[in-house]
Parts: sequence; structure tokens; C-alpha cells
Amino acid sequence: MAIHSFRGGTGKSNTTANLAVLIARAGFRVGVVDTDIHSPGIHVIFNRRPDSIRHTLNDYLHGRCPIGEAAYDVTESAIGRVAADDERPRIFLIPSSIQAGEIARVLREGYDVARLNDGFQELIRGLALDYLLIDTHPGVNEETLLSIAIANVFLLIMRPDKQDLQGTAVTLELARRLEVERILVVLNKIPAAMDRALLREQVEAAYRVPVIGMLPLSNEMAEVASGGIFVNSYPEHRFARELVRIADQVRK
Amino acid sequence: MSQDTSPDELELLVGRMRSAAAPLRGTLGRLHEQFCNLRDGTVANYIPELAKADPEWFGISLVTADGQAFDVGDSDVKFSIQSVSKPFVFGLALEDHGLEQVLARVGVEPTGDAFNAIVLDELSNRPFNPMVNAGAIATADLVNGADYPERVGRMLEMFARYAGHEVFVDNKVFLSERATGHRNRAIGHLMRNFGMVSEHFEESLELYFQQCSILVTCRDLAMIGATLANGGVNPVTSVRAIEARYVKYLLSAMLTCGMYDHAGEWAFRIGLPAKSGVGGGIVAVVPGRMGIGVFSPRLDAKGNSVRGVQVCAELSRLFGLHIFEAVGDHQSLEAQMQPQRLH
Repeated sequence: MAIHSFRGGTGKSNTTANLAVLIARAGFRVGVVDTDIHSPGIHVIFNRRPDSIRHTLNDYLHGRCPIGEAAYDVTESAIGRVAADDERPRIFLIPSSIQAGEIARVLREGYDVARLNDGFQELIRGLALDYLLIDTHPGVNEETLLSIAIANVFLLIMRPDKQDLQGTAVTLELARRLEVERILVVLNKIPAAMDRALLREQVEAAYRVPVIGMLPLSNEMAEVASGGIFVNSYPEHRFARELVRIADQVRK
Repeated sequence: MSQDTSPDELELLVGRMRSAAAPLRGTLGRLHEQFCNLRDGTVANYIPELAKADPEWFGISLVTADGQAFDVGDSDVKFSIQSVSKPFVFGLALEDHGLEQVLARVGVEPTGDAFNAIVLDELSNRPFNPMVNAGAIATADLVNGADYPERVGRMLEMFARYAGHEVFVDNKVFLSERATGHRNRAIGHLMRNFGMVSEHFEESLELYFQQCSILVTCRDLAMIGATLANGGVNPVTSVRAIEARYVKYLLSAMLTCGMYDHAGEWAFRIGLPAKSGVGGGIVAVVPGRMGIGVFSPRLDAKGNSVRGVQVCAELSRLFGLHIFEAVGDHQSLEAQMQPQRLH
């Protein structure tokens, strides 16, 4: 599943992390890959400190290690204690490097995007994943396009914001050309005063794709400030319950 | 000049992504791995520049008639095109003079002799076909132009139309070719004796040495092949490289005469119009569908790239590419070009 926004700040990484936890908790092996090489961040939400990360996606792309060595089992911190020989639930995080030098290297040298595809296949095989969530860099870029080309589900996150709405049209055109099977939209950061039914109608009419979730603009979410998994800290919150509904629909 | 609608930028980008995600990449990768261990043959050494080639170089490229490209290995290493240039200069001669005038100067019969044999058809005094050196010199002689620079320019522009970008001559190779080109000069003089070449044939010999020295990559060869597969129109730039009615003559000559004295068995077993060169390149065309380029400098006794021949043979076998194939149950090459969804 490729998760994407046309612009930054839509809440994509937080949504990805929380969905990953909810899907895993339902009894599955889930992998999360941060392909946002230019501005990595999802490892923060998983409370994975940079000094505890030895190998990253960058190392794999530059041929320095097999992708399995860049995968970290974050099950205990993200879901809780699981018996050591229990295969499910499990969550694995494959982070991108936050070191400036590494990011600069990718900018300068580039990499073979086909290798990214090989990496995804190897992750699914090697870790026996039931789900692979691919967190992408906002906007149009090779990592995103490749992820769309091979994904079964393409989840678009957008705010009820005119820039997001216009940009999403671009992404949808690309997704249609790449013949994605399922395209789903989640609206996030919806102000309390906005008419939600009308908003859903407008988006579904404009893009002809189903809106499978409507997440409110939430102070608690802002206060967590990407410091952790929201659904763990606030399981009964409106926001969390909407995420559960989204996770259920995605899994169908 | 373009016949069809040029694929837009978006389509090119999407195409690259599809190629990156296609199972065909894996198949080509496995082929590459398989034949990496094949180390038969020797690198051409009649000129020092060719002898310098790394015998381990090995690239495979495929470009479809709608512009999708797949590359594995050393697909961007440059090497001299050598004889692979011959069918295309033949094409230029056809455009400049028309079929009958060209056939009055060069035949289209395969010959069992070596490519550099100093021999002409006894009855007609014509060189046997455009793929042997004698025939290639005769077709180079037919390239129009007010003077030598213009003729060289037209020849290079023609290759640029096929490849989709400007091409350049390796000067060191060119100078070496002309310094050692004694047999070719002898053949030129013999043909002049019989009126098969014009009074500016010495200039044409220079043109011939230039054309052999053009630098290409195996991806370029696949693109050139794809242009022929696409009826003479480059699938990415949509520029027409040769008039549609001449495409069949190039492909026929390649099928019957393209692989030196292996041409008969090649047409029989592999069944694809192809041309090889002593620089280590082979281009093969699957008409209507794609061009295949292979690069590996080690040559067999007949002057064909050892790995190149094996790769083409294996692709033809696996996917039923023989142009006269009657059996329909081979794996589909086109199916392997679709992005494989993760599962």
C-alpha cells in the first residue's frame, strides 16, 4: 500500500504509522518503509532514535547491505510485548537516513529506482509480510511513482485545503496512468466547523474516488507532535476511532 | 516530420516506472547472470582500440516499439559500432537513389565468404550484399552530398535519427581503421575497376571508416532496432529515420546476410533480422514489437559476439520470437513488461 500526499504537512506519516499499528494489532505482519529519502521522519513517530539505526534504506539503495539488514522489529515499542516465537503481530520499520551527508549523496548520485522495487519484493518475501506500507515523499517523484506502479492500494491523504485539492488531481492522473487497482482518499485536519457531508460529496464528485476516512483537526494530535503512536496514547479519541474505521476498510 | 503523436512527458515517465517494476527486468537479469560465466571467444585485436576492450563487459538492452526500455549490465558502455552500421547506410543509399539504382551497384545474396573477402560476383561484378565490406563500401559511395563533410554529416544525422540523440565518431578508432584498411582499399580499387563505385570512392572509403568508428551503447543498438521494429520511426522521439517502404529491405538483408557466415543458421534457428559487429555489438529486430541490443566484446571464429548470439538465441527460444514461429504457447514477452503488483 502506497500512502501519499501531493504536499507536505497533510499528516501522511502519522496516518501511516498509526494505520500500521492498527493493522498489525489485528493480527498481521506489517512492514513500513520510509521512501521519503529527501525528508525522512516516520522513524520519529516510532520512537526509533537515529543512533539506534545502523543501516537504512539508503545503504540498501547504494548496494551497501541487503534490505533485510535495514529492517527493524519495532513490535514491542509500537504494539507491546509479544512472545518471542509469536510470528504475529509484528511491525518492521525500514527507515531512511536522517544524516545530511547521506541525503546529499542521494541528491548528487541518484540511484536506480528499479532497485527500490527489488527491495520491496525482498522485504515481503524475507519478512513474510502480510502488508507493506510505503510512506512516500510528497509531490511527484520517482520513489512515489514506482510505489504507485507496484502497489495494490494507493491511499491519498489530503487536507480540505485548496492547494491540496488542486495538487491531488495531478497525482490522480498519474495513478490512473499507472493503472492502480484501488485508489482511496482520506481527508485529514478537517476544522470542526466544516460541513463534513458536503466536503465528502465534493471530493468524491471531483475525483471519482471513495473517501474512506475523515479525520478531524485535533489539538491532542498536534500536542503529541509526532512524539509517538497516537492510537496507543489516546485509544478512545474520535481521531483514533476514525483511524480504526480507515484501517478496517483498507484491509478489505 | 513525425508520423505519430509523440509520447508526452508524462507517458515517458510512467513508462520508465513500468519498466522498473516489470518482471522482464528480472528475466533479463537472470539471462545476464547465466551468460556472465560464458567466457568463450576472443576480443578483436586487429586495431589496438578494439584490443583494449574489457572482455568482461556485458550489456543487454531491449526497447519496445512503443518506447519502453529495459537495460541490464553494461548497457551504457560505449564501443565502436563497426559492421552494425552497414544496414543503415544501405538504407540511406536507398533513400538517396531508390531501389533499382542501388541494386545495380550491390547485390543482396548471402555469401559464404568472410566479410572482408576481396571478391565480387563474377557475373555482375557487384559486391554480394551490403553487409560484407565490399558492399558496405559500395553503399557508402552512394551516400549523396556536395562534398565529404556534407556526406559525413548526413551519415551521422541518419544515425542520430535512429538512436534518438547525436552520435560521435571515436577519432582514435577512425585513425586506426584508416591506417590498417589495406584490404578495404584493395576492394575499393577492384570495384572502381568494374565501375561499381564512383570516382570519389577514396572519399567513400574515408566515410566507411568513419561509419565503423561511431560510438554507441547497447541501449543505442536496442533503440535503433526498435526504430526499425516501429516501421522506421523512433519510438521515443517520433522522428522518422527511414522511409517506411525501405524498412523491409533492411530487415531482409539483415535476416539473410547480417550475421556473417553464421547468417543461414541464424535465420534458421533464431529467425530474427540482426546485425553484428566486431566491436562486440549485436542488434536484433522483432518486427512490430521491439529491438534487442547486446554488447560483449568476445567474438567467435566468425566474428560474432559469443554472448550476444547466446542471449538472442535464448530470448528467441523463451518467448517464441522467431518470425516464422507457428507455435502459440510460449511465454509472452509483453506480459512480462507489465508492472508486477506486490503480493
